[in-house]
Amino acid sequence: MDYALQQLLNALAFGAEYSLVALGLAVVFSIMGLVNFAHGEIIGVSAYSVFLAAALGLTSPFVAVLLAVGMAALAAVVFERVAFRPVRYAPTTTGLLTAFGVSIVVQNLFMLLISPKPQSVSVLNGLNQMWFFGPFAVSSLQVMELIVSGLTILALVLFLNRSTLGLAIRAASRDFATVRLMGIKANRVIATAFAISGALAGIAAVFILARRGSVSPDLGFGLVLKAFVACVIGGFGSLPGAAVGGMLLGFIEVGLLVALPQEYAGFRDALTYAIIVALLVYRPEGLLGQRIELGDKEI
Amino acid sequence: MAGSELSQALEQMGSQAGATQSGNALVRSLIGGLVTALPVLVIGLLVLNFAPNYYTFLALGAFVNLIVVVGLQVFMGNSNIANLGHSAFVGLGAYGVAILSTPLAMKKLSIPNAPFDFATLELDPVSSALIALVVVGIVALVSGKVISRLSGVAATIVSLALLIIVHSVFLNWTDLFKGNQAFFGIPKVVGLPWMLVFAVLAIVTARLFKDSRWGLQLRASAQSPQAAAALGIDAKKLRLMSWVLSALICGLAGVLYAYFAGTISPKLFYFQMIFNTLAMLILGGMATVTGAVTGVIVLSIGLEFIRSIESGVTVAGIQMPQLLGLSGVALGVVIVLCMAFRPSGISGRHELDELVSLLFRRNAR
Repeated sequence: MDYALQQLLNALAFGAEYSLVALGLAVVFSIMGLVNFAHGEIIGVSAYSVFLAAALGLTSPFVAVLLAVGMAALAAVVFERVAFRPVRYAPTTTGLLTAFGVSIVVQNLFMLLISPKPQSVSVLNGLNQMWFFGPFAVSSLQVMELIVSGLTILALVLFLNRSTLGLAIRAASRDFATVRLMGIKANRVIATAFAISGALAGIAAVFILARRGSVSPDLGFGLVLKAFVACVIGGFGSLPGAAVGGMLLGFIEVGLLVALPQEYAGFRDALTYAIIVALLVYRPEGLLGQRIELGDKEI
Repeated sequence: MAGSELSQALEQMGSQAGATQSGNALVRSLIGGLVTALPVLVIGLLVLNFAPNYYTFLALGAFVNLIVVVGLQVFMGNSNIANLGHSAFVGLGAYGVAILSTPLAMKKLSIPNAPFDFATLELDPVSSALIALVVVGIVALVSGKVISRLSGVAATIVSLALLIIVHSVFLNWTDLFKGNQAFFGIPKVVGLPWMLVFAVLAIVTARLFKDSRWGLQLRASAQSPQAAAALGIDAKKLRLMSWVLSALICGLAGVLYAYFAGTISPKLFYFQMIFNTLAMLILGGMATVTGAVTGVIVLSIGLEFIRSIESGVTVAGIQMPQLLGLSGVALGVVIVLCMAFRPSGISGRHELDELVSLLFRRNAR
């Protein structure tokens, strides 16, 4: 029983992290059709700024968390301004390849300017403790991950449903031209979407740092690949789809962790992806995605 | 300009009866392919006759990249869907021949516990290559069935997932693939002449596919899916076809790499190769085979230059430090700048032979 609960919490925590990152991707994709491969490098910027701040003597975990989220949002907005604005009206493939290029540049800059080797960051290690509830021992990090992700998603839903800018973002995902005709600046909508996406990545970065205790140039890349897969199974561009896809991915991974014998543990990633590709055979448009026929206007 | 391919496709469908006309088109596209391959042939022959050994080795690597990029162009250029998983097929081709053709004595050292009696099997290089390509074809057919059904973005992500699956199998099935360690002792049977022959063959094949009915229809459906569907073009079938052809060309590149280098390891066929070849294709221009060739030539030379800076050069008597990551930054910057300022790449929309004939026509006027 204890073991089952532990694994359930494990799956929920993994799923929450994937959901956060996947939501960040989906917010940006839904309004401007950009497949942001550089999302992982936003996580990277966030983690490296915590590393640099710690090196300069700022070792308060509270400051580190604020810095991580703030820098991630800033990095996202800067990426948009510098790299993605010139290709805003270009076809999806162009945007995708641009983002891929940005991702390569930033990853290699970390390598060039800081170090290709992992660097230790211990500022946030305090978040990762064991809590005891009667007979159960749980990791504080996983509980926090679950709670914070839940609250963040709630805040995102409230923002999108209750504020004017949120409404504009939702409307822009359907028909950007009309949003602009209503007198809302396109740049503002897009910058806000990027800032949200960056902040979500920053929160994920805090948890990654607390768990790993180190930064490396490819810190966010693998995670973002998984988040992309989560988006694809959920239905690309759908926000609920991203959240559900992330959770599903967490459950598949932990399920395989439990089911696979130790000597096959290396095949976990391969099997996870294989299961998802198999799912796509039956639902090419994703679990929550709608089938769009050619020529459909309303999406 | 949009829809020009579409109207061509319509025209061609209308005039299928004119057999002589399509015969002419075949000859023209064959000649076009050969013209495109000409610079490669010249460079290859120059290196073969004049260059010192070190440059021959570099040139062999560049030719492998060339074949990979041409293979990538077959899918990306015609279907306009980004493929980020093609190096999986290069790896499959390379490991295929490594497992089949490595001499038994070497296998006893490297993979003594290989399953399915592979440890006691040694085939000649040609049949190993053919079997490896059949395996690549099967994997491509199965993955293509999924990818051709998806929309553009989802297809890209799945191609990436495929890369990770294949890489993870290479790493973890240690009995067969030796995991993270280098697989050595593959017979070195391919030199520059054979490499040249296959490079030209790949270029001509890519060009023939692009100009064929299927290539034209696929390009038309990439430009306007609705109009193409209305003409009765089956985009899924065509995407699958170009995916498999692209994978086979990439697999061939892998086979050739294994046969010239003699040693392979999984990390060769992972993201680094994707970055390199993708930047080459984008810089040259992915719409044309000429673009693929141009990109490889320009970037191979450029990267070699940057790598020499990266490993620390001596400028005016001062030893510069190692700058790891510089070539990566350069590749990324090439991609980003190209996409922002010239999305169609250096060569643009026209093949080399088309440019030459345009030039002559203009002068004649």
